[in-house]
Amino acid sequence: MNGPDPSQAETAAIHIAGLNKHYGAFHALRDIDLTVRRGEKIVVCGPSGSGKSTLIRCINRLEEHSAGRIVVLGTELNDDVGNIEGIRREVGMVFQHFNLFPHMTVLENCVLAPMLVRKVPRSEAEALARKYLEKVRIPEQADKYPAQLSGGQQQRVAIARALCMTPQIMLFDEPTSALDPEMIAEVLDVMATLASEGMTMVCVTHEMGFARRAADRVIFMDKGEIVEQAPPERFFTTAQNERTRQFLSQILNH
Amino acid sequence: MTVLAPPAPTLLEDLRRRYFATPLQAAVSLFSLAVIVFLAWKILNWALLSAVFTADGGPEACHAAAGACWSVIAARWRIILFGLYPFEEQWRSALACVAVVAMTVLSCIPACWTGRRIAAIWVAGTALFYILMKGGIFGLAYIGEEQWGGLALTLFIFVTTCLIGFPLSIGLALMRRSQLPWISRTTGIIIDGVRSLPLISILFTFAIVLPFALPQWLQGDKLYRVILGSALFFSAYQAEIVRGGMQGVPKGQEEASMALGLSYWQSISRILLPQAMRNALPATINQFVISFKETSLVVIIGFFEILASGNAAYGTGEWRFAYVEVYVFIALIYFVFVFSLSRYGAFLERRMAVGER
Repeated sequence: MNGPDPSQAETAAIHIAGLNKHYGAFHALRDIDLTVRRGEKIVVCGPSGSGKSTLIRCINRLEEHSAGRIVVLGTELNDDVGNIEGIRREVGMVFQHFNLFPHMTVLENCVLAPMLVRKVPRSEAEALARKYLEKVRIPEQADKYPAQLSGGQQQRVAIARALCMTPQIMLFDEPTSALDPEMIAEVLDVMATLASEGMTMVCVTHEMGFARRAADRVIFMDKGEIVEQAPPERFFTTAQNERTRQFLSQILNH
Repeated sequence: MTVLAPPAPTLLEDLRRRYFATPLQAAVSLFSLAVIVFLAWKILNWALLSAVFTADGGPEACHAAAGACWSVIAARWRIILFGLYPFEEQWRSALACVAVVAMTVLSCIPACWTGRRIAAIWVAGTALFYILMKGGIFGLAYIGEEQWGGLALTLFIFVTTCLIGFPLSIGLALMRRSQLPWISRTTGIIIDGVRSLPLISILFTFAIVLPFALPQWLQGDKLYRVILGSALFFSAYQAEIVRGGMQGVPKGQEEASMALGLSYWQSISRILLPQAMRNALPATINQFVISFKETSLVVIIGFFEILASGNAAYGTGEWRFAYVEVYVFIALIYFVFVFSLSRYGAFLERRMAVGER
């Protein structure tokens, strides 16, 4: 069981308790409790507007939560800018629309944060960047600009850019939703490799094949609530909740 | 099977197709050509062939000639370029112009775009200008701001307006998009307020009215108050241009930089502003061009910038008839500066286009 347990707050990678988020009158997240162990891989799915993106954007404070408690790697997320920046240093994020910096080359995209935030010298940052570009299998594109790359390549650069900060947790916000079908596999392969190496990952995705292959736990959200969570084999075969079964039948049988 | 491209038309064929396809088209083409040739001949004849170039014959030689009287420039160029600046010291004003132009050119070269180099260039350039113009040290005779004039004054007002106004505009644009409503609204009111006033009234207020409100030690010379007013006016317009550029940068850019752990200022200076300035470049060059020409308004405060100096150059009796030549000369000077600015803008646009498909 992964209910709220105060003792886990210090040791868990991410500990969320009683999280609520409002946009004006709209109640985007309702009483979310979630604990992610170090090294655990979580896939979050659910219909559009269910709050899954909002949930992971709360984890690195791209969204401010209205109530509840979020503890990331033992540091509580509150209004303390030092805490926020400290957590962001350790939490990488990959976006649906890549969000690479278009005015910089691939290499500059990768060395920027290590040099500015971690104060790594340029030579060291470049070596690190080339290592991770190698890992996402596009070392030869280092001197190109993002617009010169395909969507799949851009997303892999975005993953490498996040990895260059050597984060302990990686958040993926629908990383393959904006990609042409033939490019989805190359991105999922990189993510699966990352998962197999023990990275703590929270992925919002509808790629159920990836969930089966890499996830330790699948979470289904609807209307701002966590409706169901289970290991993938149980999640796909014996989902308990009617809404989950309906969602699964919609995305699996077509 | 290879498909051959159609053969390129010869020049003659191309001309016939473009301008002489139908009888009516041919007639219009011939008529236009005649008008162009006629005007070109008239201008050439006036400006060069029948013109008087030396001041030796005085105004009388011009009355005899049919063409332009460039003698007025030969006789009065010093007043146009240097205004009321004392005659024997005008080499200082000329050097000061060179200093300002050199400073501007240097700060336009990408190799100089590091904080330290830009700061060094600007501090050295303005200090050099100030020392040369004002004197009072290094054995240079003291010459007060009220005697500055001509091209040096125009350049000085323009460059300082931009140096103060440009950073101010970025500050205003950032404040206007602040998440704190009292900051964004106040900034909005300031920008809209300044934009609602004519530049002349702002210059007048800063030059004439402000001294009543400020203590003596805060007033400074009228010239610097005028520059401040002009910079404020510039920044109100430029702030909206910068804000427009910022709106063109997708929200995801800032989110990505924040997610990477960049601080607010790192995110602004490395991610938001470079992209925003690229978006805002055409409108920014426009604003610089307008500001350059608006420097001529300082004449109402009693400063003899280049246009006012030009008026003085022909306005003294004997050359009174040669005002067209003086204005053509001044127009040429404006043109050289503004056209260079436009070409530099085009260069920047090409340079910044890297990374765009």
